[in-house]
Amino acid sequence: MNNRRVKNIIEALGKHKDEESIKILNELGTNCPIDEVREMTSKALIRKNTHEALEIMIVNKGKGINDLSARVAMCAINELLALKDKQEALKILEDTINMHSEKEVQDTARSVKALMSFSS
Amino acid sequence: MQKISPLRSSIEAFNKFKALRANKAQKEEKAAQTNPFGITFKGTVIQMDVFEKTNKSEENKNHLNSLKEKMQNTGKLLASAWVGTINKFSSLKANAIAFGNKIKDNTIATAKKIQEIGNTKIEINPFKYSVARLQNQPVSELRTMLSNELQGVSNE
Repeated sequence: MNNRRVKNIIEALGKHKDEESIKILNELGTNCPIDEVREMTSKALIRKNTHEALEIMIVNKGKGINDLSARVAMCAINELLALKDKQEALKILEDTINMHSEKEVQDTARSVKALMSFSS
Repeated sequence: MQKISPLRSSIEAFNKFKALRANKAQKEEKAAQTNPFGITFKGTVIQMDVFEKTNKSEENKNHLNSLKEKMQNTGKLLASAWVGTINKFSSLKANAIAFGNKIKDNTIATAKKIQEIGNTKIEINPFKYSVARLQNQPVSELRTMLSNELQGVSNE
């Protein structure tokens, strides 16, 4: 794997205006067995700051802030904290806390929401 | 005066003669014993030369025995040398086979590598993978590129 190429492709998909790019990142990036690729994908999707992209990173178990790798999860949380406009992310976190079926996901969302409210 | 019978006198004379002869023999024997190289044989001194023949035969025997031993040893040495040579040749043979196999493997590996190099397209375009350029490409193309890159990872 050429790290530079993968990084550039993921970054380009993150900056791409086509909505299809989110699907590609979700399909190929978040399901990749390599932590580094998942980390790059998390960054790219959160930087998009759209409802669909943030939902993938917050709601899905095993992806984004709920990733099994602490490194990937922390990277996603850091990226969420670094967002200038946190409104959409906070809304999705609130919905997750109230409506998600998994308690684990709810707890993570609650913690991240607390962090985000402290940082803003 | 006692009358001496002729028989009795002859017996006495014989005894005296016998005693004298015994004395003489004893003296000669003593004289011979002083000689370290000779012994008496029926009263005569046997000189060292007499033993020469027997000594020679013993020496010859010993010589023959030593020669026999030497021959046997030489045979053993030759046999061990032969075994050593066989071992040496067999190890040489094994080494030669290993060397041949190594060369064969190396050649196959090199041929594969050359084939791989021949199949790879050499692209000298440093800006092909720049973010700005990729951003303007259609999403389907980016998907193909990303899946190709990640496919290489899963195969590794």
